[in-house]
Amino acid sequence: MDAQPVSVVIAAGHGVVGEVVRRACEAEPGVVVLAEVRDGIALIESCRTLRPDVIVLDEGLDGGGQELRALRSLREEGVAVAAVVLTDRSDGASVLHALRLGARGYVRKAAGLAAVGSAVRTVADGGRAIEPESEQAAVLALGRFAQQAREGSEVEASLTAREHEILMLVSQGLTMQQAARRLGISPRTVETHVAKLYRKLGVRTRVQAVARAVQLGLIEP
Amino acid sequence: MGDGWPLSGASSSRLSLGGIVSRRPTTTSPPRSRRLGVIVVDPLPVVRAGLTMLIEDRPDMDVIAETGTADDGLEIVSRVRRSRVVILVGLGLTGEHDAFWLIRTLRERFPTHAILGCGANADATTVSRALFMGADGFVDKNIDPVEFLQSLRRAADREMVLAGPQSGAVGQIAEGLERRRDLDVRLTPRERQVLTVAAEGLTAREIGARLGVRERTVTTHLARIYGKLGVGSRLAAIRLAARAGLVTVGAPE
Repeated sequence: MDAQPVSVVIAAGHGVVGEVVRRACEAEPGVVVLAEVRDGIALIESCRTLRPDVIVLDEGLDGGGQELRALRSLREEGVAVAAVVLTDRSDGASVLHALRLGARGYVRKAAGLAAVGSAVRTVADGGRAIEPESEQAAVLALGRFAQQAREGSEVEASLTAREHEILMLVSQGLTMQQAARRLGISPRTVETHVAKLYRKLGVRTRVQAVARAVQLGLIEP
Repeated sequence: MGDGWPLSGASSSRLSLGGIVSRRPTTTSPPRSRRLGVIVVDPLPVVRAGLTMLIEDRPDMDVIAETGTADDGLEIVSRVRRSRVVILVGLGLTGEHDAFWLIRTLRERFPTHAILGCGANADATTVSRALFMGADGFVDKNIDPVEFLQSLRRAADREMVLAGPQSGAVGQIAEGLERRRDLDVRLTPRERQVLTVAAEGLTAREIGARLGVRERTVTTHLARIYGKLGVGSRLAAIRLAARAGLVTVGAPE
């Protein structure tokens, strides 16, 4: 019995990676590679026009980082496509990030790109292709994420509008004097607000305050 | 497999819940103080009975107590003087003091106890709501008993646990948390309260009566909520709140 045909678009920053992935995909019966692209913009464009069943996305695309920006954009546009992410990372936060953006396959490059072919087949059939260790790491990261979401909400609810304002200014690097001028209040008042703010965040220094606020999602990193 | 549900003849005498269990192999049991103590809070008596039998059959854990209401559960937990405690909260608990209320209250008052949400076929939003409230994980009632017991042990070590079909929905659960967080950032606590009551289908006048404010104040709150959420109607606002797990619309399980 022939396998159901599966169409794939490959997005990899490096031609070598793209080529290896293409071979791995084509070795899988029924898998057809529609296109191979080099950046996020081309990926989004090809998803719109070619409507592949699956995309294989190298995490190193567009300069890498943890962002997987192309995947996020596709999601925001409402383009439904099953994604397999190729990665060097196996830490929980990275796996969780990919899963949050809808990735259904998570293949570590160290595990060998040959696994990509079967991963494509698995996600095309509605399954998940992710190593149990990676999934477990993501679950642990989810626990931390939940805690941060909860604590962030609690702290957020406890901050006054003024304290919130001052947190923003402090995180932008303004001194107390500058913050006071900006808000049209005395430096002494700013100091009082800052002291309360630190207490609510459970910190003692400005650097700690900013780090904690980022961690709790109160301000953008 | 040696670790099945002990439901057959030999152990039927242990259906008397909360009683002393006689068949425990005392030679291998650690002292009671070191054992994992489980408190089962679930509205369904059969579920409580089944879980109690399953847990009491293990040498390293026992059921401290089981009850069908959140208030009783809280009362029981406040009297417990053990160090390794897991509280199993059935998400089917409803009413004003529902499962999520219990989880939140327990988390605030007993930060060192492990809390596990427990349910059957719960969706990702329900699970993320339980986690947001402070649960250390979620266990599906449909899983294998061995895996269930293992989940209790991992929870007791304060490890995040996701056992059952929902272990494949990590991404969606995280998304639910994000949505909830996002909603919390945008709405004040009072606005969330108004929206939660509104989801019960009350009129502005009834909401006002419940919260002890004037009808006019409620409509002002609602208008501000719609503006912040970028929606045009109460229904749309409630749908958004439900998707973020702020309110439960329909059955929780």
